[in-house]
Amino acid sequence: MIDPNFSSVVPLLALLAQEPVTGFTAENVAARPEIVERGLRFLNLAYTAVWVVLAVYLLSLSLRLRRLAQQVRRLKERAGL
Amino acid sequence: MSEPAEKPPGTAWSGLTEQALFVLVAILVPVCLHAIFRAVPTEEKMGVVQRIFYFHVPSALAGFLGVGLCALFSALYLWRRDRRLDLLAHASAELGVMFLTIVLLTGPIWARPVWGVWWTGEARLTSTLVLWLLYAGYLILRQSTENPEQGARFCAVIGLVGALDVPIIYYSVEWWRGLHPKVLKVSGGQGLDAEMAKALTLCSTTFILLFLLLLLQRVRLGRLQDEVESLTLVANRRAPYTEPA
Repeated sequence: MIDPNFSSVVPLLALLAQEPVTGFTAENVAARPEIVERGLRFLNLAYTAVWVVLAVYLLSLSLRLRRLAQQVRRLKERAGL
Repeated sequence: MSEPAEKPPGTAWSGLTEQALFVLVAILVPVCLHAIFRAVPTEEKMGVVQRIFYFHVPSALAGFLGVGLCALFSALYLWRRDRRLDLLAHASAELGVMFLTIVLLTGPIWARPVWGVWWTGEARLTSTLVLWLLYAGYLILRQSTENPEQGARFCAVIGLVGALDVPIIYYSVEWWRGLHPKVLKVSGGQGLDAEMAKALTLCSTTFILLFLLLLLQRVRLGRLQDEVESLTLVANRRAPYTEPA
């Protein structure tokens, strides 16, 4: 049955309109250790992402350099240089 | 066509610079980590998650340096048509994309606990994503062109025009009153605590040095690619390649 006054929709809209709960304010950081723990999880994730991107790039660069150096050596042998 | 020289000019100097940069970066990275996790105070409002900032901002600086150098070398290439300038532009663009990838990954990881969302249509975020897409397109175009000289010309234009997005990213927070924090005084923010500013300077210097180290390596890769092409021509002339039966 549809509510003609939309009385159940209003609290739902009010809930959606609320600001997202961030949790990171000076008071609750000091009072709630789980907030610090949550922050550490995100910090860990971010630093992992940085190291993974750098490692993947360094690996790809070194593999490409090695492959090309081998190609140069083979071509020099073939050309008798 | 002349036969390739044994070693390109400036190789010894480049090797020494690479070694010096490697030693500097190897020393500075642990110092940075010590500064970020031990020396710097925890930010009052955001808590420990604010420490993402010490890798996020330097990555952005290195990314913008890559984009800026790509634009500079692209402009010079269009003027002088020197292959070495094209090589430098390509290397700078690749590194720019790599550092901007770090920015676009660490930004949302910071935003989720602080703003409550991973991503929003905020002006600085969107314009940074556009910059990444432009230079990722640049790299794809470089790989896919049949005529290398034509590809280099097209990419030089993209490299030059794409860099116009950098000032848009920088001023977007002011022009469109974005959510993105203005932490530095130079960008209209309130400035940082002295310890935080020192750590940020240290991390930024380290990332710039890492950028330069990787740039030298990436340029060496480009030189090797050119050497392979010219050696293939020489080898085919001397001993034509035959398909194995």
